[in-house]
Amino acid sequence: MLRPLIVSFREGVAYRAKGNLLWLLHRISGLGIVVFLGFHIFGMSMAAFNPALHERALELYKTPPFAIGELLLAFLLIFHAVNGTRIAILELRPQLWEKQELATRLSLIITALLTAPTLAIMAYKSISHFLAH
Amino acid sequence: MKITLKIKRFNPEVDKKPHWESYTVEVEPTDRVLDALHEVKWTQDGTLALRRSCAHGICGSDAMRINGRNMLACKALIKDVAKDGVITVEPILGLPVVKDLIVDMEPFFAHYRAIMPYLVNNDPPPERERLQSPEDRARYDDTTKCILCACCTTSCPSFWARGEYVGPAAIVQAHRFIFDSRDQAGEERLRILSEPDGVWRCRTVFNCTEACPRGIQVTKAIGEVKEALRTGVIR
Ligand code: HEM
Ligand code: SF4
Ligand code: SF4
Ligand code: FES
Repeated sequence: MLRPLIVSFREGVAYRAKGNLLWLLHRISGLGIVVFLGFHIFGMSMAAFNPALHERALELYKTPPFAIGELLLAFLLIFHAVNGTRIAILELRPQLWEKQELATRLSLIITALLTAPTLAIMAYKSISHFLAH
Repeated sequence: MKITLKIKRFNPEVDKKPHWESYTVEVEPTDRVLDALHEVKWTQDGTLALRRSCAHGICGSDAMRINGRNMLACKALIKDVAKDGVITVEPILGLPVVKDLIVDMEPFFAHYRAIMPYLVNNDPPPERERLQSPEDRARYDDTTKCILCACCTTSCPSFWARGEYVGPAAIVQAHRFIFDSRDQAGEERLRILSEPDGVWRCRTVFNCTEACPRGIQVTKAIGEVKEALRTGVIR
């Protein structure tokens, strides 16, 4: 059960190739989203079970480390969705694997195009929030 | 030019775990990494163990990790891989190291044998050879180029995590027969490859295609086998 995880971070990091990096990022982003979702669902459910704890969680989300974490999460989520879509399309049309380099470049460009305004809006909101307090 | 070869050494009779050793060798930029390794073995340290045979990229015996990436030592030119005069050389991943750069290839060949790597045709043999149109021959041309060097399989994260995965090389070899119009055992091979340790362990990382010294579109071949399994048609 743990072996795939260990291998990802031992052989996965030791092996130097382009595809490998993308795969590692996809795995890290997938795991990152899972961890965040678990945390988030736990936090929200506390609204029903332990309102005081829920309030504290909400306060915590407003601190700078969490604001930065949210930016990172937004990037990981967008990257994971776009890159995942690339993988799914190529899996269904294997002839397209010959155009893998182009597909990868496209998915990185689309990720950047979607990430830039998202991060800008989020950062703007956070900064206005911190300035107001 | 002078370069430093950093080689990962392991002698099972004395070492508990592998360690690095550095050698300085005089080479031409257009020499191959294999030439530099020969220089070490023949003039500096005869205990260095490595495997090679043809020295011309066709026998598939000298796959190793050069600067962290799988290559054939006989196809990697010094000028293409030397970084600030240093080249690191390690054994390929995912197979047990026997000594220094030599790994035990048996698990790899066992996967190769498992996919029935031979032509199956139970029709009575014709007078001369079994004919095939140029188009039918072209269908599987790419996968005939495989030299079973294991660069692909040992670059695959799925294989590192689970040695039972048949791996890209065995799938490439299966592809070569599945899409051969003269062969009659395609269904049987597809059945083998649809098992839990077959093609579905491929997570499309693409390391294999990047590593293949023969330029085979490995991930595409795997994709075509997956497609044949999904649709039930071999075409
Ligand atoms: C937004 C739409 C999403 C798309 C299009 C998508 C697509 C994919 C695809 C295609 C894979 C398989 C990669 C492969 O086999 O090579 C994958 C893996 C994965 N995804 Fe997603 N995904 C999405 C959202 C999510 C979410 C919300 C989570 C977390 C709750 C998540 C967690 C994971 C994990 C943990 C993996 C496994 C990574 C690995 O094995 O290396 N994904 N995703
Ligand atoms: S494409 Fe599939 S077989 Fe090739 S390295 Fe990636 S996971 Fe392994
Ligand atoms: S497909 Fe390429 S990398 Fe894999 S064994 Fe054959 S020649 Fe080597
Ligand atoms: S020595 Fe034969 S392939 Fe390199």
